Amino acid sequence: MTRAASPKPGDTFSIRRGPITTTQLVMYAGASGDFNRIHYDHPFAVQKGLGSVIAHGMLTMGFAASCVVEAFGPARWISRIDARFTSPVRVGDVVEVTATVVERSAADDAIEATLTAEVDGRVVLRGVVEVTSAVEANPSSASLKS
Amino acid sequence: MSDRTEIDRALIGSSAAPFAVEVEKGAIRRFAEAIGESAEIYFDEAVARSLGYLGIVAPPTFPTTFRPPSKPAWVHGLDEGRILAGEQGFHYRRPILAGDRLQCELRLTDVQDKRSSKGNMELMVQDLIVTSPSGDVVCINRRVVIYRGQTTSLAQGVSS
Repeated sequence: MTRAASPKPGDTFSIRRGPITTTQLVMYAGASGDFNRIHYDHPFAVQKGLGSVIAHGMLTMGFAASCVVEAFGPARWISRIDARFTSPVRVGDVVEVTATVVERSAADDAIEATLTAEVDGRVVLRGVVEVTSAVEANPSSASLKS
Repeated sequence: MSDRTEIDRALIGSSAAPFAVEVEKGAIRRFAEAIGESAEIYFDEAVARSLGYLGIVAPPTFPTTFRPPSKPAWVHGLDEGRILAGEQGFHYRRPILAGDRLQCELRLTDVQDKRSSKGNMELMVQDLIVTSPSGDVVCINRRVVIYRGQTTSLAQGVSS
């Protein structure tokens, strides 16, 4: 994937993350503060009917945000990202995230894109994202009032 | 309505006690590393500033780390093994930066029943409102959590 200086509707960008390891899930639990045992305690997850530990949905969403930054560059910041977790991600899975440009505003260079994360073709996350110029993000120049 | 609901509907509209967070660059770094991030705006202040930011930037999903010191009333008594992530959204007015001191309030906005072929579930729609010391909204993080019914298996599509 090459970063596009000038993304246009229909352009797609993909990244791959993984294979997911238990170590990564423990790191994410510690860094995020989500210590639900379904993410690292295998017997507990099995007892709860999950089959195995499952990755934090927010880790997959983190991959999705990584894809956006790689696609559109760090000079654009993510002003909005929404995601739905449609299927579990497990240890050993390789997650492929694809961002597809929907719209680009000529006025302020904002980009809207859809996000899809898949494991072996199975969709695990769907989302939308909006990125705008970092300079616009400067609190001294942007209005923070709702 | 499902046959049996477990989340107290009377708590819809209530909030957990507000809490303060201080955004530390070490916490941002560890969070970014856990995701496998390599973007320098999360690690290096000089790079972040050169791109127009006022400091080290927190990844967009970072507010997931903003947790009330004690669990909110609406999750008391719930079985953590039946809790699953459903949806998350982060809507920003400006990026969150290292050094920010922010005020957080977590609200139970709604509880919805959901039936599927795999069984019943309840959806808790929670909104975390993150404000600056001057009271301006910086970010709203919507967290929709699925609570699987006692006999509900893990659907391949946990949320549709």
